[in-house]
Amino acid sequence: MDEAAQAQELIDYILQEVIRRPAVQLTADSPLVSSGLIDSFALVDILVKVEDVTNMRIPAGKVQPKDMDTVTLMLATAKRVGKFRKAK
Amino acid sequence: MNAIQYRTLTEAMLDAPPDRPFLTMWHDEDEVETVKFGEFVRLARLQAVDFLAHGLRPGDRVILVMPQGIPVMVSFAAAMLVGAVPAIMAYPNFKVEPAKYRYGLTGVSKNLKARLVVLDEQFPDDLLSYVDCAGDAKIIRNVGLQDSVSEPAVPDLPTDPAGIAFIQHSAGTTGLQKGVALSHDAVLTQLDHLASTLQLTAQDRIYSWLPLYHDMGLIACFMLPLVYHLPVVMQSPTDWVMRPGSMLSLITEYRCTLGWIPNFALQFLARRVPAKERPNFDLSSMRMLINCSEPVREQSIREFYNAYSQYGIRPEAVQSCYAMAETVFAVTQSGTGPTGLPGRVWVDAKRLTDAHVAERVAHDAEGSLCMVSSGRCIPGSRVRIMSTEGVELPDGDVGQIVIQSDSLFEGYYNRPDLTEKAKKDGWYWSGDLGFCADGELYVIGRKSDLIIVAGKNLYPQDIEEIACSHSRIHDGRAVAFGMFNPDLGTEDIVIIAEVEDESDLRNSASIEQAVRNAVVAELGVAVRAVYLKPPKWIVKSTAGKAARSTTREKLLSEQPELRKA
Repeated sequence: MDEAAQAQELIDYILQEVIRRPAVQLTADSPLVSSGLIDSFALVDILVKVEDVTNMRIPAGKVQPKDMDTVTLMLATAKRVGKFRKAK
Repeated sequence: MNAIQYRTLTEAMLDAPPDRPFLTMWHDEDEVETVKFGEFVRLARLQAVDFLAHGLRPGDRVILVMPQGIPVMVSFAAAMLVGAVPAIMAYPNFKVEPAKYRYGLTGVSKNLKARLVVLDEQFPDDLLSYVDCAGDAKIIRNVGLQDSVSEPAVPDLPTDPAGIAFIQHSAGTTGLQKGVALSHDAVLTQLDHLASTLQLTAQDRIYSWLPLYHDMGLIACFMLPLVYHLPVVMQSPTDWVMRPGSMLSLITEYRCTLGWIPNFALQFLARRVPAKERPNFDLSSMRMLINCSEPVREQSIREFYNAYSQYGIRPEAVQSCYAMAETVFAVTQSGTGPTGLPGRVWVDAKRLTDAHVAERVAHDAEGSLCMVSSGRCIPGSRVRIMSTEGVELPDGDVGQIVIQSDSLFEGYYNRPDLTEKAKKDGWYWSGDLGFCADGELYVIGRKSDLIIVAGKNLYPQDIEEIACSHSRIHDGRAVAFGMFNPDLGTEDIVIIAEVEDESDLRNSASIEQAVRNAVVAELGVAVRAVYLKPPKWIVKSTAGKAARSTTREKLLSEQPELRKA
C-alpha cells in the first residue's frame, strides 16, 4: 500500500469509527486534536490502526500529542519511530 | 527477609546479591532489556558520579522527567546514593492533554525548587520553557552513560534514615499534584508491613505496567523489589493500553506471582483483549492481583474473573487494597481474613443514600447493593470513620476515612498550609468516604465528589451506573455531579452521558426521559439536567477514568449560563 492509500484508509477509519458525524469532511492535513474533532483518548484506537495500516510496531511512549494531530503527521511519526513487523 | 534490618533504602539496594535478576523491561516482542542487581548498582554509581559532577549535593531535589524504563530507575537510585531527593514526574505522551501537562510541569517544578532537572534525550523542546526552577538550577538531558568505568567510585556520603528519601506525588485527576515527602524510615517500615501481609518470599516475581510517578508503581513495583531483592517484569502504561493482552502474556511467560492494578483495568482486560489471544494465557502463577487506587467494584471483579477463570486465575488471586502516597502505600489489604477473599456485604442502597448507613440486607433483597471491601488494616495502621462534625462513627456508618500509620508522611513538600489541613493530631484525613464492617474497610469514593441533595448524600458512581444501564448510553461513559441551586439552597444533579452512536442523538428526548425516570425510581431524587453527548466527548484522565471535574468544566465552558443558574 502506498502512502496515499494508507492516508485514505486512515481518513476513512477516523470518519467512520471515531468521529461518526456524516457532515464532517477530512483531508490528510485536517487538524484533529487541536480542532477538537477527536479527544486524546481516541488516539489509542487510532494509533493501533496506524500500526495496522503501515504494518509497523510503534513505540507509543515516543509519540507526542503534536505527532498525532493530522493523518500526514501520524504517517510521518510511524516512519520516524516505527519498526517493521516481522512476517508471521 | 526483613526490610527494617536496613537503615536506608540505598543500604538495602547495595546488599542485593549481584547475580540476582532485577528488572526486565519489555518494550515489544523484539525489544526486552534486562538487568541484574549488580549491574543496576554499577549503573546507579556511574550516574551518581555524573550527578555529582553537575553539582548535585545531599538534600538537593532532583526532578526526573523520563519515560518508563531502566534509565529513570537508575537515575532515581543514583540520586539517593548521593543523598539527594529524587522525584519522578510523568513523561509527556500522546494521550495527555498538552495544556494540563504544561500546567502540572510548571507547578510541580516550581514547588520543588530542584537543583537538577533530568530530561530524557527526546523530551520535546517546546515544553522546556514550562520547567520552572530556581536560578542556580541545571537542566540536563539524559544521553546515556559513558560506560568506561567498571567500578565507579562514589564518595561515601552519610544518609540520615530520618531524612527525606524521595518525594512522590499524590495522584489526582485534576488540580496540581501535591509532593509527599517520605523518609527512609517511613518507606522501610511500610515495606516491612507490606511484605509480612503479602507473605512475600524469594520466589515472588512482580508484574507491572504502573507508572513510576504513582505510588502503586513506585512503591509496590520498584521500592518493594529493590529492598527485597525480587525480580520485576515491567512495561510502560502506554504500551499496555495499546496492547492490553501483553500484560497477560508477560505474566504467563515469566510466571509472575504479584501485581497491582486499578479497578478500571479489570474491565478493560475483560473487554479489550481479543478472545483469540486468551487460550495462550496461563495465569495460574498469580498469587495476588491486587485491585487498588479506586473504589473496588463487584461488577469489575466479576467481569474479569468470568473472562479469565478458565485461563488459570483463581478467585482468591483477585484481592484489594486501600493505599495512598501519604502513608507511603498500603493502609489495608484483603485476603488476610478467614475466607482469604475480600469481604462482601449487601446493603440497602436507599439507606446508604438517605441515612448514610450501610444496612445489611440479603443479597437477593430488592434494592440491595453489593459492596466489596479493601481488606483489613495492615500492621502499624489504624482507621477511624469520622462524621463531618468530627465524631467517630460505629461500624456500618458512612463517614470520612481517617488514618494513623507508623509510615505516615511528614508533610506536603513546601506546602505547610495543605499539611495542616490534612494532618491533625497524628491522624491523616483522607478525604475519602467509607465504612467499616466485620473489621474490614469499604471505600465508597471521594468526599469531594459527593452530591448532597436536600441532606441526602448521593454518590456520583451510583447515578452514573444507573445512566449507563440504558442500552443507548456507552458503558462507563457517564459523569454525574452536583450544581448548587441558590433558589433551593441545595445541590441539583446534572448528568452528562455519551450515547453509543451519534445517530442516537436523534432520540435524545426519549433517552433523557428514561434516564431521569430510572434515577428517580432507584434513588428517589430528580435530576435537573441530562446532557447527551456524542461518543468520545467525556474527558478521561490519563488512567482512563472519566474525569468528573474536567468534564464538568468542559460543559460549563460550553454552557456558561449554567453557572448563573
